[in-house]
Amino acid sequence: MNLALRDLRRHVPRFAGTAAGLGLLLTVVIAMQGIYAGMVDDATILTRTMRADLWIVQRDTRGPFAEGSRLDPTVEARVAAVPGVRRARPYTYQLIQRDHRGVVMRIALVGLGWPDDRGQGLPLVRGRGLLQPHGELIVDASLGLALGDTLTLAGERYQIVGLTHDALTSGGDSVAFMTVADAQLVAYDQPAEATVLERARIVERLRLTDLGRSQPALAELATDPRWRPPALASPPLAAVLVTVDPHRLAAVQDTLRRWGDVTIYTQAEEEDLLLGGVVQRARMQIGLFTAILTLTAAVIVMMVIYNLTLEKTHDLAVLKLMGAPRLRLAGVVLQQAWMLGVLGYLLAYVLGELAYPSFPRRVVMTETIRVVAPAATFVMVTLASMLGLRHVLRIDPALALEG
Amino acid sequence: MTDAVRAVGLHKTYGRGPAAVVALDDVSLALGKGTVSALLGPSGSGKSTLIKALGFVSPADRGEVLFEGRTVLKDGAHFADLAKLRRQHLGFVFQKANLTSFLTARENVEIACELGGKFDGRRRARELLRYLEVANREDAYPEMLSGGEQQRVAIARALANEPSLILADEPTAALDRVRSRTVMELFRKVAHERGAAVLVVTHDQRALDVFDVIYEMEDGRITHARPGEPLTSMGA
Repeated sequence: MNLALRDLRRHVPRFAGTAAGLGLLLTVVIAMQGIYAGMVDDATILTRTMRADLWIVQRDTRGPFAEGSRLDPTVEARVAAVPGVRRARPYTYQLIQRDHRGVVMRIALVGLGWPDDRGQGLPLVRGRGLLQPHGELIVDASLGLALGDTLTLAGERYQIVGLTHDALTSGGDSVAFMTVADAQLVAYDQPAEATVLERARIVERLRLTDLGRSQPALAELATDPRWRPPALASPPLAAVLVTVDPHRLAAVQDTLRRWGDVTIYTQAEEEDLLLGGVVQRARMQIGLFTAILTLTAAVIVMMVIYNLTLEKTHDLAVLKLMGAPRLRLAGVVLQQAWMLGVLGYLLAYVLGELAYPSFPRRVVMTETIRVVAPAATFVMVTLASMLGLRHVLRIDPALALEG
Repeated sequence: MTDAVRAVGLHKTYGRGPAAVVALDDVSLALGKGTVSALLGPSGSGKSTLIKALGFVSPADRGEVLFEGRTVLKDGAHFADLAKLRRQHLGFVFQKANLTSFLTARENVEIACELGGKFDGRRRARELLRYLEVANREDAYPEMLSGGEQQRVAIARALANEPSLILADEPTAALDRVRSRTVMELFRKVAHERGAAVLVVTHDQRALDVFDVIYEMEDGRITHARPGEPLTSMGA
């Protein structure tokens, strides 16, 4: 006869309520882990999809994701000329925020090195890669845009030709891909008013310098609306992505490390930078929340099991007096704790399957989470039953004779 | 007649020094199989302490308890698995029925059978409930039973493993006169028909004719041991 089940039969509402509460707490705990896994996946998906052996960034920076990196565009050609390098591609990265049909969209804009890189390595779920050097855009489906939709950026219309799935940054922003040239247009777009002000500043500087005084025609040129202030340098790149002959990787790294204006990272190092810098604090925060919630769940289970056990003290004393082995009575408490754990976890699983897709942050259920979560629940409810177990083991059978 | 249990020179003291209370003072008695005995005495005379010692629940400090001729307890040390002994050979009936609240009447008897491991629990439980005339209430929880019904189920539970010894601690204290009489007669029936030794702690002077032997206790000692009074209302 299973005494644990017989007892629960008499306390169904309380037991069901506790299991529901535990299930909700576990839903949140598992979601925390899933959100963290999602952050890690989001953080590294940008580097993974680029499929580069080496990331070349501005000297002494941890770019382009952990911090800004401004790399002279000539680096691309210089790297391509290094023996052992199969391919060198420019790469830009910037975060923008735009209103589109009344919705605020945060977009991580990635520039691809046209024509070599047309987005063929991206996780496309619909549409195609870039076929034109200008005016085409691949976006993540999480932005809610459809194929054929257009997005206006820096005064230009960009048509969406491809959709990716789960291409997000560690901050949860959706990623969009366009050519490097287009990305630089967006990055260095200047409003008309800024152009007018820049012209005024040039005229003022000319007026104060010998150059302006000796060549007054320059001031007239600066105020000509058809004239744009000269760019002093080509727009910088965020990084250059390098594919290397696998047998010559070490040699290429040695060569590039001797250059004074760049720092190089392998794919793994770039991912470590992302995880260590951007995700580390979130990991600690989520770890803290998880610990607090797990402790809360354990305390709730502990108190419910302990109260259920306290209420049964006299019954258990009678059973002890009748000669029931102590382990069998301890089994009542343990089984009830395990039943709570199983019901709570099943509820959390079902709720999670229903609710996680609607979370604002991506919740990724990794194999580790699928294995660890039920095991951790089992350990947690087992530990939570210890107080009740201790009580059972200490019940004096003589108590039954005391009425 | 063989003894189910024999106690020799039991001593038990609660507390120490000036606050020490002697609960048992050189108590010796033997309970024969097939006899029903009463244990009378005022409150604090040591009756419950004796029941605990004979039931292998709280051993005496000194003295010996033999069960079916074998020494089980001697001077506080035990020479057998007491829990196993209780579940296989002893039955207890309490002042309140003390039925397990989350089990039905049948399950209360069934669990005792299961613990003893001698019988098929369900069949034995039904048989005993029929014997004690509460079979129609087998699916009721204790709270749904009357006091008399609860005590019958408690007796059925005590009989579950055909015990050699049944210890009852004021089993009729919560019952009216008619039901008290019925329960006492049940003990006599069980002892005589099933060969168990039954010891009943009671204050009820109206049912002394039911018992074969009457022990009286005072200040931790057995002061009198005499045969029961002539039976007045039922045949043996």
